[in-house]
Amino acid sequence: MIEHALYLSVALFCLGVLGVITRRNVFVVFMAIELMLNGANLGFIAFARLHESMDGHVLALLVMAVAAAEAALALAVIILLHKHKGKLDTNVFNLLRG
Amino acid sequence: MSQPLLFYALSLLAIVGAVGLLMFKHPMNAAMSFAVTLIALAGLYGLLSATLVFAIQLIVYAGAIMSLILFIIMFLNIQPDDLPDESGYWYYLAGGAAALTPLALLLLYGINSLSVTSTPEAPPGFGTIKEVGVVLFTDWLLPFEIVSILLLVALVGAVVLAGKREGGND
Repeated sequence: MIEHALYLSVALFCLGVLGVITRRNVFVVFMAIELMLNGANLGFIAFARLHESMDGHVLALLVMAVAAAEAALALAVIILLHKHKGKLDTNVFNLLRG
Repeated sequence: MSQPLLFYALSLLAIVGAVGLLMFKHPMNAAMSFAVTLIALAGLYGLLSATLVFAIQLIVYAGAIMSLILFIIMFLNIQPDDLPDESGYWYYLAGGAAALTPLALLLLYGINSLSVTSTPEAPPGFGTIKEVGVVLFTDWLLPFEIVSILLLVALVGAVVLAGKREGGND
């Protein structure tokens, strides 16, 4: 069961990377990043169960806190970009290119 | 002894939700699909006897973060013609899959080389709030404090970014 949980975590992480690569909707890209974090979290939990140590659980909790902070900031940035450009396309957001 | 059955059902649900996130065109449908993945993952944490993380996953991820995302999607009132044109989706998918295959194979090889065969019985109290708390406030005290500062910075940053008025000091 632990081995299969690790396979699942790899699958979720790869699906998240694929989401970031393929989609152009900024919301979906953001959720794909969250999916990658979740895949990594499942890996932490599975390894914690395997080694019977609590460190993995603590790391998973810290990752969730970072994800929450990231969600707050990223959604604020999305609101600003939508106000600025009126679009949700990641290709339109090229402010940093100058 | 329905544990393996439950495990595979939840795994399938998680994969289906993640694939739905990649396939649905409207972000609202994608977000609902992603919520399925998050709840299935919470169930998997429970099966891996991580009770505290199970609860936190449901409250923080499936509760707070997902409702925040859904709230913002509804707030922006996205019409079908606001959605970006994603005509080259399948080319990107094929290219991304080709680029990702070596990484996935490497990770799978790494997992295989661990040669995990049997699931050891979890020790009593494993994953409960007390056990996690003891480790969190002894070995991980400094990261915990740093995360609290990070949350404060994110809070202030979100207020400063989203609270900006049009035509103000921008």
